[in-house]
Amino acid sequence: MIKRGDIKGCFAGKILRIDLSNKKIWTEDTKKYTKKTLGGRGINSLIMINEIVPQVKWYDPENLLCFGVGSLVGTMAPGACRVDVSTINVFSGGKGSANVGGFWGAELKYAGYDNIIIIGKSEKPVYLYINDNHIEIEDANLIWGKTIFETEKILRQKLGDNDIKIASIGPAGENRVRGSAIIIDTAKAAGGSGVGCVMGDKKLKAIVVRGHGKIEIAEPERFMKAVAKCYEQCKNEPNTKMMHQAPLNLYSDPDFLGWDSIMVVKNGQDDQWERENRIRLMSLKTGVPNLQKGVRACYSCPIGCIPYMEINKGKYQGNKGEGFWINAIMGHACRFDISDPESVVNSWLLTNELGLDGDYVAAGLSWVFELYEKEIISQKDTDGLELTWGNGDALNKLIKKLAYREGIGDLLADGMVEAAKKIGHHSEYYLIQVKGQPSIEPFRVPKGWALAVSTSPVAGRHLRGATMGSNEYGPKPRPGNFGVTDYQNQAKGVVWQGKTKELEDNLGICTYVGTWAGANFLTIADFAELINAGMGLDLTEEELMNHYAVIGRNLEKAFNTLHTDMSRKDDLPPKRFREEEVKSGPYKGFKIEENKYNEMLDEFYELWGWDKKTGMQTSTGLEKLGLKDVAEKIAKQGKLIDQ
Amino acid sequence: MKIIRNNNLCYACKTCQLVCSFHHTKTFWPDQSSISLSRNPQNGIIKWCIDSTCDGCLNEVEPLCVKYCIYGALQEVKEEREYD
Repeated sequence: MIKRGDIKGCFAGKILRIDLSNKKIWTEDTKKYTKKTLGGRGINSLIMINEIVPQVKWYDPENLLCFGVGSLVGTMAPGACRVDVSTINVFSGGKGSANVGGFWGAELKYAGYDNIIIIGKSEKPVYLYINDNHIEIEDANLIWGKTIFETEKILRQKLGDNDIKIASIGPAGENRVRGSAIIIDTAKAAGGSGVGCVMGDKKLKAIVVRGHGKIEIAEPERFMKAVAKCYEQCKNEPNTKMMHQAPLNLYSDPDFLGWDSIMVVKNGQDDQWERENRIRLMSLKTGVPNLQKGVRACYSCPIGCIPYMEINKGKYQGNKGEGFWINAIMGHACRFDISDPESVVNSWLLTNELGLDGDYVAAGLSWVFELYEKEIISQKDTDGLELTWGNGDALNKLIKKLAYREGIGDLLADGMVEAAKKIGHHSEYYLIQVKGQPSIEPFRVPKGWALAVSTSPVAGRHLRGATMGSNEYGPKPRPGNFGVTDYQNQAKGVVWQGKTKELEDNLGICTYVGTWAGANFLTIADFAELINAGMGLDLTEEELMNHYAVIGRNLEKAFNTLHTDMSRKDDLPPKRFREEEVKSGPYKGFKIEENKYNEMLDEFYELWGWDKKTGMQTSTGLEKLGLKDVAEKIAKQGKLIDQ
Repeated sequence: MKIIRNNNLCYACKTCQLVCSFHHTKTFWPDQSSISLSRNPQNGIIKWCIDSTCDGCLNEVEPLCVKYCIYGALQEVKEEREYD
């Protein structure tokens, strides 16, 4: 354990506890948890492992829904706006976590709270209203059944305050659709792990926040000096300008490297999308960029990467809203072979409106399209929808069916793994999933990406170590070049990136402004200076990377060990990508070669200090981190490696 | 002196509001800022205003809101006044 003084700034100071079953509200000091972690997701993970016993399932009242605002959120640390939402993962049964930006997190800290921990289930639909220390559990009759857009509008009118910040679920979450998201400010999604499904299960429609307080800083002048330095770096980073125009504009060039290396086409049949489709979707004059009417930023963000979209023609004319990401190109275009820009933008906006995770929709429903192609299902099963590749209208209709559990939507809403069991006919082979969660990620070309996604503790997502194109140790990204195709040294990059993401999610700094998207944004030294000046500590880069970051990852891994039978066998890429090769393009013939992947995995475990053979945690590793209590829990289940 | 904002360049990140509160209080306290900003994510409209508590950032080389607006949306304009 590292010896250090008490925290003197940046935190709001209190954790808000809500028991929905008994309508009880209380608070506790954040300090109770800040010896072991630096805030945000760290605190959520610590509370989950302390309080959720292994028998508890995601739908039990004893499951916790935890909102953790990063410790630098509410200050001027660049890009500090992120909130972690943690709960039991509805797909894997282990740790669930989703991360979201926007303005809600800072507002919660101004109201006086670093985290909200929710236990129990309400009998009737409710929403939570937090206005500084005035907290109410209110009846949600007015908004239950409404979309995200309607919900926000009604709540603003009812409460008569345009400055409230809202985190809510849509019809999908209410209907316990597994891939439901929690949406903040109508457009920013805490998407993965089914966090919206858990919120719906607890019958909690929304959390409305208004805060009037302040965040104090241990050494204000020193902190602002650090902020000024960070801003200067962001100004000078060449990628900032690219981000200012929203990064998806990169894809208006059909020869951009990202097209060849990270796009998975037709649910994984190929990793190469035809040139004319790329041009049709992303042409500056008539494609998606033409529908972009402006760009917005999250709170205190010097990058600004949120496009504001307005559909100006066709059957979706008039639909508008914030948000359209590269995931939408990967997921809602390439995976379905849809190149109609209006349809792709609309299906993405629809996921926000209905409260769905865009990635889940992409990976799950493209699987259904493939089952239709393979004649495993027919129009009889799809309520008459023709799920042929390229049919954007059918996708838009299917998304609605999923959110409202209509017809085939009801079969799919309980999760694709469950649906595959019911459908049968070898359908599970075509489902691209990791640890139970459908995944849109590329595997066959970028090998570090494949390793990070396959080993992610929250099941099949890239933000726990995927590197933006570098196989070097440390931040030397070559943005856009995701095509690092060799296996050597990838583990080092993935572990490094995994550690920096742990820190970012504790501090609440967006990874775009952090270590992911450019070498000249924030560095670990900047994190250390912001922490030390802001919180009055004296931590080194080494302590951050090799202690606090490692604790965060180990807490999540331990939660998975205690709640599931996950081990090395679950850290492999989907079978399809180990068996089928890329069919065309510059990476034709590529697939995951298992022996080489396993060598990468060996090195990965070794670098995290885990047992190579099983992938499990060791007694000395956990004790070194001051997690003896966690080690004892794992030992009780006979899963601790004694070394 | 007054601060003007170009709506076409504004990304609505609220950094101006935040740094202004730091100037006044040495804490981060949007309620005590001279600037207020709200944006409607559905119709894209951004509303911004600066009130009479703005002191032009006395003792600073330039107003902090202008300095930290990385998007170049804020500008300091010197006003020439005629006195009777």
